[in-house]
Amino acid sequence: MEDVVSGAGSMLMGSLAKSKSVKEPASAPRVSNDVSDSDEQLLIAVGNHQDRAAFNALFSRFSNKIYAMGMKLTRNEQLSHDLVQEAMLTVWQKAPLYDLDRGTAQSWIFTLTRNRCFDILRKMKRQPATVSADDIWPQEGDIDSQLVHEEMGTMEVEVSKIESFYGQLPAAQRAVVEQIYIHDRTHEEAAAVLEIPLGTLKSRLRLGVGKLRQMVGTEV
Amino acid sequence: MNIDAKYHPTPEQLEGFAQGSLAPGMNVVISAHVELCATCRQSISELEEAASEEWLRSTPDTRASSINFSAMIDSIVDHPQIKGDDATSGNVPEIHMLDHSVTLPRALAKVASDGLVWKQLAGGINQATVTLDDQTQCEFLYMKPGSQVPVHKHQGNEVTLVLDGSFEDELGHYKPADFVVRTAKDLHQPASEEGCLCFAVLDSPLTFTKGLARLLNPFIRYRFRRATSAAAH
Repeated sequence: MEDVVSGAGSMLMGSLAKSKSVKEPASAPRVSNDVSDSDEQLLIAVGNHQDRAAFNALFSRFSNKIYAMGMKLTRNEQLSHDLVQEAMLTVWQKAPLYDLDRGTAQSWIFTLTRNRCFDILRKMKRQPATVSADDIWPQEGDIDSQLVHEEMGTMEVEVSKIESFYGQLPAAQRAVVEQIYIHDRTHEEAAAVLEIPLGTLKSRLRLGVGKLRQMVGTEV
Repeated sequence: MNIDAKYHPTPEQLEGFAQGSLAPGMNVVISAHVELCATCRQSISELEEAASEEWLRSTPDTRASSINFSAMIDSIVDHPQIKGDDATSGNVPEIHMLDHSVTLPRALAKVASDGLVWKQLAGGINQATVTLDDQTQCEFLYMKPGSQVPVHKHQGNEVTLVLDGSFEDELGHYKPADFVVRTAKDLHQPASEEGCLCFAVLDSPLTFTKGLARLLNPFIRYRFRRATSAAAH
């Protein structure tokens, strides 16, 4: 994993190799990542450490599709070109906000392409600029804090049950859930405290919270 | 915010919302409902997954010749990324109606942020119209307690989202987050015992978008406005 790999086919390996620069604690059991599609790992690599190779790979996979969506909706080459530029820029800028809770990478990229397209079409048709795509579909990143509060609310209600279920989580997931929900740390802070990569933290959090919800759901 | 709504957008409306194929006005009212309704939020993420599958599957993978890949990538990666802490949820906007204030869903708060001009209509109804696009007529409606709208028919489809209070018609009693869809065929007589604040979106009638016929639009819109004002929904 330490050798330098290049070329489109090895980009994923390249990004994984780089992410290994943050050490995993020896005691924590490895949690297998349940992501089979590599798009998610590419996107997380872009978000975690501005991985240029991973971004290149996403760009070559999605830019033509984005261009085609632009042509379908605007029938204008320049606007479609702008759409690729703006959508891929948004992918780059918002990649740190992506996590597996937001669904697949392709769905995430689709939604932000749809949103940029909405804004471009609105300008093209000279419609009033009262509402932007991000007001209509805020899930790209900014509704996050709100969703976390909702999760907290649900957990408070079921707090006694949660406590007993919580003990049943694998140690690695429990450690992550504890950092985020009990110590109230940000994802970045928790990853630093636990000395694990942000991507690993996010997938453990997702698995752990998913398991807790499942346990609460079957009990209630 | 989660409210158990009894009435939801149609599957076609949710699908159009996920795909981004609806007019801005319709997007806004669906967005407001979705923000309040966990069930529809779940449907939307499933529909977005499906739409993204379809997008990747059905789009030809022809390379856009006009795009200089490496130059574009170079210009993009020069930009700073957005970190989690930069994401703000924004302030909570409210609308004041007589004796109390109502917290609006995000998209509607944005719509109302430029200020609303309320007009008094017959039957205890107040209306503040907003222009979001040229395909829909959008308005906030406030029905005073005990108000009743004359029997009327819609031109086109009308969607009404209840924001505060409640109203009732022959088909049901509608509470906050309820999304009421009426087609041109429906004849109804809404009334509100306790008072009600809603946001309504009405399909516009025929609008010409090409050529000299566009000159007719102001007249058509004017007649349309008069008709809806008089009917007052």
